[in-house]
Amino acid sequence: MRKLSVIAALLVVLPVQGLYAAPDRQAHFLAFGVLPIQSPTKLAGMFMPLVEGIQKALGQPVEFVTAPSFATFMKRVMAGRYDFVYLNPLLLKRAEKAGYHAVAKVAREPFTGILVVRRDSPLHNLNPATLPKGLRIGFPDPNAYAATVMTTQYMKKLGIDVHRDFSVKYFGSQNSAIMAVYAGLVDVAGTWWPSLRSMPPRVRKGLRVIAETPPQPQMPIAVRSGMAPQRVRKLTRYLTSLTHSASGRRVLRHLGFKHGFAAANDSEYAKVGQ
Amino acid sequence: MNTVAESASETLPLTRARRRERFRGRFASLRFRLILSVALVHAVLMGTFVWEAVRDQSADIRAQLVSRGHELVTLMAVASTNALLAEDLGSLGEVTDRVKRQPGVVYGDIVDIRGDVLASSDPARVGHRETRPLNVRDHFPLKPGDHVLDLSRPIEVAGRRVGTVLLGLSTRSMDTALEKTRDAGLLFILMALVVGSVAAWALSMIVTRNLHILISAVRRIAKGDLDVRVNVNSRDEVGILARAFNGMVASLQRTSREVSREHEKRTEAERLACVGELAASIAHEIRNPLAAVVNAVPLLDSEKLDPEDHAEALNIINAESRRLQRILEDFLRFSRMREPQPVVGDLGGLLEEVSQSVAHDPAVPATVGIRCHVPAGPCRASYDPDLLRQVLWNLLLNAIQAMPEGGTVDISTETLDGQVRVTIADTGTGIPHDIIDKVMRPFFTRRGDGTGLGLAIVQRILMQHGSKLSIDSEPGHGTRVTFQLPAG
Repeated sequence: MRKLSVIAALLVVLPVQGLYAAPDRQAHFLAFGVLPIQSPTKLAGMFMPLVEGIQKALGQPVEFVTAPSFATFMKRVMAGRYDFVYLNPLLLKRAEKAGYHAVAKVAREPFTGILVVRRDSPLHNLNPATLPKGLRIGFPDPNAYAATVMTTQYMKKLGIDVHRDFSVKYFGSQNSAIMAVYAGLVDVAGTWWPSLRSMPPRVRKGLRVIAETPPQPQMPIAVRSGMAPQRVRKLTRYLTSLTHSASGRRVLRHLGFKHGFAAANDSEYAKVGQ
Repeated sequence: MNTVAESASETLPLTRARRRERFRGRFASLRFRLILSVALVHAVLMGTFVWEAVRDQSADIRAQLVSRGHELVTLMAVASTNALLAEDLGSLGEVTDRVKRQPGVVYGDIVDIRGDVLASSDPARVGHRETRPLNVRDHFPLKPGDHVLDLSRPIEVAGRRVGTVLLGLSTRSMDTALEKTRDAGLLFILMALVVGSVAAWALSMIVTRNLHILISAVRRIAKGDLDVRVNVNSRDEVGILARAFNGMVASLQRTSREVSREHEKRTEAERLACVGELAASIAHEIRNPLAAVVNAVPLLDSEKLDPEDHAEALNIINAESRRLQRILEDFLRFSRMREPQPVVGDLGGLLEEVSQSVAHDPAVPATVGIRCHVPAGPCRASYDPDLLRQVLWNLLLNAIQAMPEGGTVDISTETLDGQVRVTIADTGTGIPHDIIDKVMRPFFTRRGDGTGLGLAIVQRILMQHGSKLSIDSEPGHGTRVTFQLPAG
């Protein structure tokens, strides 16, 4: 009886073990494309536990992939390179044209863009009247929705024309833009909360938020239309149940999403960009 | 011609054996052993040292190559992590291009988690499934004929594998360096062997030079030269040995002189005794016949002597005079015996000839049979034919005279160890044990008509041939005499 239980345990464990230990080189990988909002290594550090969880939930190897830039990422999205993607609401609108549709989103946390300065900066608010001339502002990418698009639109409503009143520089990723303001390369940086929270405490303490945009629909996870419905359901179920288990919460801690994911659909993003 | 051919064919193996012995002797010499020992010690020590050095150096070179490979493959992994995650093929290509420009790099591949080659030093491989194993054996020894050290390193992010870097480093330059090191090592061993051998040879010359002086001195002593002394002034063991040797030779020389003087004294005494004994024997032998003659001569002048007695007296004088003459002739023959002139001849033929002559002698009784057992074919031996004929005559006559009632004389030969043994056995009365040692003395005889010089002459002739007569007798059963001659 004891032997039988050991054999049964091995039969159960071995396939799972094999899945994690050394992915089958002949197996079909699902490609999970992640918008390069951070450096690739940092993104991988954040998303790898999630990838493993999805892999386990779907019973199929999943490949984490990002891109050198937003533009490249979107080219690949439009070419259907990824089976499912994590991107911003603005880019979702474009991705929909390539057949992607939202199935989940970051839950509860307000999706806002923020503007940060060094703690010792003389800037404390965005009053166009008192804003010094010749300020330098850094963004991750022109297509970074919260960090660039939302903050730019927010400052426009305040009467500040970013391209007129600032010297604009793009640093490729959220953490690059944050490090740029911390290092004094720019005076202000546009970013969003999860990226700021993921920075080392020394950096976080050296920075100050001077403005935050009104919230928008959260970052979605969208699947390509060719993906089997059953697999989509499994993926959605897994994403939305992360807060229910200790392992899921560990995944969320790596991502920096306190409340996990919630189910979503394309209609929630209908007004984005308008 | 046959004799020459035979002797030549016998000389060849002897020469070969001598050469072989001389060859072995050289290898058994102290000098050779010393050279061999030092050379062996040099070879073993240097061989071990060089072997260890080469092995260490080889291990170092290999370790350096492995270390360099690990550094390079690690750098590749670090440099390509972001680009791999972003599928930035351009950046990955730059990494592999830079790696390819490094000396000794055979190939460099970056493979994603699916096993697809994203970048390679061989552009034709990009986009294809990697065929090489991802977990390679990155240490030595390589398989025979394999000159590429394969290395791999997983690209990991947050402890999870996202791809693999494969790198191949050529071991050709390392192999060349190792070969050079090994060749240099062998050269060092060879040089050590040569230098060690030369040093050993020089040392052996110094050590054995005095020994050779001692050896030649010993050889001269063996030839009888006791005046030899060795002049070795060294203070080492050989010098001590030489001084002891000189002392020993001086002592030996003194002893030899004393022995020689004693021998001369004894020889002189024995010679005088022998002369005295011989003179006594001669006097004894001639006294009786001479007395008979002396007594008979006055009777011839007596007128009272009747004619019969007168004739008897004349007979006595004649007989005793002849006896005296025979005694003196035998003695002269004994004393003036010539030196033998040996030649190689057919001893069997001589035995048959003498035995037949004796058998046909009218004086030999018909009751005596003489049988000659000589093997078929020539029985060659070295002897003086005339002297040996006399030996055989004397021995056969002795045997016949020992058989007054008749009997058989058997003559036989046997070849043993380069010697021909001649045996003459009779079935006569034999010789009593108490006189068997005296029968070969001059003038010793048990017969009234004998001179007692027959066996003495036989013994003297045989001694001149380097042999001697052996007598084995059993009273009442017969006597067996034997002697040996060198086979021809």
